[in-house]
Amino acid sequence: MKNNVDQSWLVESATFSRPVIREIQRAAREGIYDIRGFGAKRRLPTFDDLLLLGASMSRYPLEGYREKCDTQVTLGDRFAEKPLVIETPITIAGMSFGALSAQAKEGLARGATEVGTSTTTGDGGMTPEERQHSRLLVYQYLPSRYGMNPVDLRKADAIEVVVGQGAKPGGGGMLLGQKISDRVAEMRDLPKGIDQRSACRHPDWTGPDDLEIKVQELREITDWMVPIYIKVGATRTFFDVQLAVKAGADVVVVDGMQGGTAATQDVFIEHVGIPTLPAVRIAVDALKDLGMHRKVQLIVSGGIRSGADVAKALALGADAVSIGTAALIAMGDNSPEYEDKYNELGTSAGFYDDYQDGQDPTGISTQNPDLGKLLDPDIAGRRVANYLRVMTLELQTLARAAGKTNVRNLEREDLVALTVESSAMARVPLAGTNWIPGFESTQ
Amino acid sequence: MASVTHKSHDMGLHTEQLTGRTQQRFFSASEEENYTYPWSFDVDFDNHAEFDAESMSSSEVNRKIRELMQQGFGSITVKNPQAKHSLGVGILNRLKLNFQGSLGYFGCGLNDGPNIHISGRVGWSCAENMMAGTVLIEQNAGSTFGAAMRGGDLVCRGDVGSRTGIDQKGGTIIIGGRSGAFSGFMMQRGRMVICGDAGKNLGDSMYDGTIYVGGEVEDLGVDCVPGEMTDNELKWLINKLGMYDIEPSCGIANMKKFVAGKQLWNYDNLEPAEKKLVL
Repeated sequence: MKNNVDQSWLVESATFSRPVIREIQRAAREGIYDIRGFGAKRRLPTFDDLLLLGASMSRYPLEGYREKCDTQVTLGDRFAEKPLVIETPITIAGMSFGALSAQAKEGLARGATEVGTSTTTGDGGMTPEERQHSRLLVYQYLPSRYGMNPVDLRKADAIEVVVGQGAKPGGGGMLLGQKISDRVAEMRDLPKGIDQRSACRHPDWTGPDDLEIKVQELREITDWMVPIYIKVGATRTFFDVQLAVKAGADVVVVDGMQGGTAATQDVFIEHVGIPTLPAVRIAVDALKDLGMHRKVQLIVSGGIRSGADVAKALALGADAVSIGTAALIAMGDNSPEYEDKYNELGTSAGFYDDYQDGQDPTGISTQNPDLGKLLDPDIAGRRVANYLRVMTLELQTLARAAGKTNVRNLEREDLVALTVESSAMARVPLAGTNWIPGFESTQ
Repeated sequence: MASVTHKSHDMGLHTEQLTGRTQQRFFSASEEENYTYPWSFDVDFDNHAEFDAESMSSSEVNRKIRELMQQGFGSITVKNPQAKHSLGVGILNRLKLNFQGSLGYFGCGLNDGPNIHISGRVGWSCAENMMAGTVLIEQNAGSTFGAAMRGGDLVCRGDVGSRTGIDQKGGTIIIGGRSGAFSGFMMQRGRMVICGDAGKNLGDSMYDGTIYVGGEVEDLGVDCVPGEMTDNELKWLINKLGMYDIEPSCGIANMKKFVAGKQLWNYDNLEPAEKKLVL
């Protein structure tokens, strides 16, 4: 804005704000929707809208540094002979080789392994680097079936049937031609350089009855040894979770709309699905309704950033959480260290979301070999491990303050809400009251 | 100082400066087990066994097949499969497997190597994600036949349902009769031969691969276009169909070929003017 304009009388439209005007004009100029990565950027109810109640007279706290507070979680003991035992209830979410560089995938695997938790493949199959460095690797079984083969399936420690993801429930994957390198094309059986669009539905089953038989097939192939997860994007969560249980899931993964993506239409990311906060509560209610809470484990994801988020998710009834975007940030994504490089791309640290272009200066979301080399998987792994450790320590700190010897003992009664919206969504009382909007307590 | 470092490690205060290359490698390229298939056995095709599956569950049937392979049987006949689901799946072995009857859903899925013959019918998603080998069905097949298949020959002498070869990534699918709607949907590689009629939206959104049709095509899907049949393709069709003693009523020389129009290959990267041409 020019300096000689008196700005005091200018009023910006709340409806047609400058970003809205810019987007309308971009659409008019280019004739196609905006594609980007990252997750929802709009303001959404989050775990920040909840507070934990520490112990005092009516509850007995644990000593902050010394008293034992277990973090180990067993996932998938409903049917699988070899459930996963993870040392912290924080896992690494599925992200594809293709969307991410091989170095980034290896870094995630190294970090997860160092703290005793699991990492997850993604669309495009399992890379040898990832398997090599993952003690516990969850193999995603996706609609596209890119890179899917029975040998890798049997190398997995668990299988995650992906029905949807929080950033785009009801939508399929997208990987633009810039990132379809020789290796990615070979793994996915695609011509090099094309814009790849994954299907939004699985090719060989259509509904929950079919899925039940599909899960049976996967169990037959793996001899009922490894857990089978079913992952859904958070939408009609109550019914989706119950149908996943009915289909035979050992573990249900619910991904809220803050969950990230490598490339999707902006309109999809911002306008489809429900936030993680209500999704957790609804998923837990669905499991309790079936009498399956804690029998089928619940992993939640989408916008998890700190040990406080983890503590609140567990208090609402989740068994574990998954992180994706936060793990990329831990490795260096959007770091001010790369400000000059981001400026060259027309953006700035903290705003970068063009993962689809493959020009990521951090070497994380790229298939450019020169950029990929900028990320040292060893250092990236250590950063992820450190971050996971800090989150775990924060989680333990909060759990001890609430008097819990095991983080899973955190409960809904330990929470209050700061806002009317979060109170209604999480079904915990508004702070200072015993009021939960829209919910008549039976107590 | 060392003890301080150790304590900080235990507390999780682990910084880049304090850590070394401590992470264990769990899979080594020099270890033989990384180059062998799990559950693969040395079998003899002349060594034949058979059993009756009537009173067995799917798991019991699959385990019995595996036990017999482990004992060296390279030819196995399963009587009365009774359309049970998920039979003959995940076999990563050379094997002659004969089902005397019909299979349910997901029969022979995710296999790599066996030659399977089914005397009856198959339900949905037969031979999904097959890597190699052959599956020959004497009667009809359900929908999503050969979904995400990556190699081998999948043959049905009768008719098949819709979405045949959906996400096909390789190999050959041969249908002696008709195929339902959306056959070849999002096909990536490989070949599909439909001797009879093809339902609507044939080859919709296919990336690549080739579809040959002997009968009528109800209509073509988005970005599926007719292709020019070459002499080599005719020779291949004659040989391939001859292997299974199948021939379209119109004659192989009169079969039509369909391929990807490739107009959607770079849709999201096209300039606006180019998009108008596509749409």
